[in-house]
Amino acid sequence: MAPIAVGDVIPDGTLAYFDTEDQLQSVSIHSLIAGKKAVLFAVPGAFTPTCSLKHVPGFVEKSPELKSKGVQEVICISVNDPFVMKAWAKTFPENEHVKFLADGSGVYTKALGLELDLSEKGLGIRSKRFALLVDDLKVTVANIEAGGEFTVSSAEDILKAL
Amino acid sequence: MTAATATTAAFAAVRLIGSSPLKLKPPSTLLSFRGNLGSSLPMRISSIRRARFSTIPKISATISVGDKLPDATLSYFDASDDLQTVKISEITANKKTILVAVPGAFTPTCSQKHLPGFVEKAADLKAKGIDTIACISVNDAFVMKAWKEDLKIGDEVLLLSDGNGHFTKAIGCELDLSDKPVGLGVRSRRYAMLVEDGVVKILNLEEGGAFNVSSAEDLLNAI
Repeated sequence: MAPIAVGDVIPDGTLAYFDTEDQLQSVSIHSLIAGKKAVLFAVPGAFTPTCSLKHVPGFVEKSPELKSKGVQEVICISVNDPFVMKAWAKTFPENEHVKFLADGSGVYTKALGLELDLSEKGLGIRSKRFALLVDDLKVTVANIEAGGEFTVSSAEDILKAL
Repeated sequence: MTAATATTAAFAAVRLIGSSPLKLKPPSTLLSFRGNLGSSLPMRISSIRRARFSTIPKISATISVGDKLPDATLSYFDASDDLQTVKISEITANKKTILVAVPGAFTPTCSQKHLPGFVEKAADLKAKGIDTIACISVNDAFVMKAWKEDLKIGDEVLLLSDGNGHFTKAIGCELDLSDKPVGLGVRSRRYAMLVEDGVVKILNLEEGGAFNVSSAEDLLNAI
């Protein structure tokens, strides 16, 4: 799949998560963000350093500000299973708005054309690090890293674009 | 649908193919052909099976008692947070080793019953001559480290990542949960085995992720 780009309609896909009652739920991306301004950002791996110490905390911290600028959903996606995503989300107790969604088999990441092959590091196929601003399903900003670096995909970069 | 229901459905499927491991011998005609190319060519049963029996549904040659474990590289983060690799041969050669496998870090049965059981019984197992206890999962080393910390495990049990699932596949213990909405991909069946100098002496292998025969107590009783 060609990588998602500005102007594209974001593909639909099903992601999983555990709700507040610990029930496994699946949600379609379209149903979650149609008609809204949303930020979708992705990390190569839950519990990995950059993701845990910089990328996610940035969004946790800036999500109130993003909301004040009209962003209704801030979604974090990773190619990890929902058990791992739930455990990882717990490590950010101050988080109020970021939703942690699991793309366990990497299907949605492939639909976006943003796979990152980390098999040599024992991580299998993951997602590139990226942050997208999506307005009623249309991609208006696409900050995609080449791999797992952290240069253009922070919360601040998205805030500047709003 | 809960994760338990999702995995139960997959277990039923695994039961069909996992129950009778088939060990195929290479046909003698192929043997003589390869003989011309030199005896140093390794005979890989799996590749011959693919070539000659492509219409037969794939059956994994599951490990059994008496087999020598294939070698593979697993990974983990050490006490200084450096990524290390270790080979199966290193942790099993000239030792009595217990290998425990779980379908997934942070999943309920694995976290609440299976692994804690081995942490609790580690001293008893070591008193019976066990040198090393290692828990293996098809999860990456970052996740294994976080899980180890979450369960407050120290030196009692090594948590090793079979990140690409190579070891799990090599011993025919895969659990394919790829088409389940829970998104677990290919994982390992639950098992507990006693390995002496690289040879499997006791193998308590579950159907999928069930938890009937693979506890620390089961193994303690069997040693």
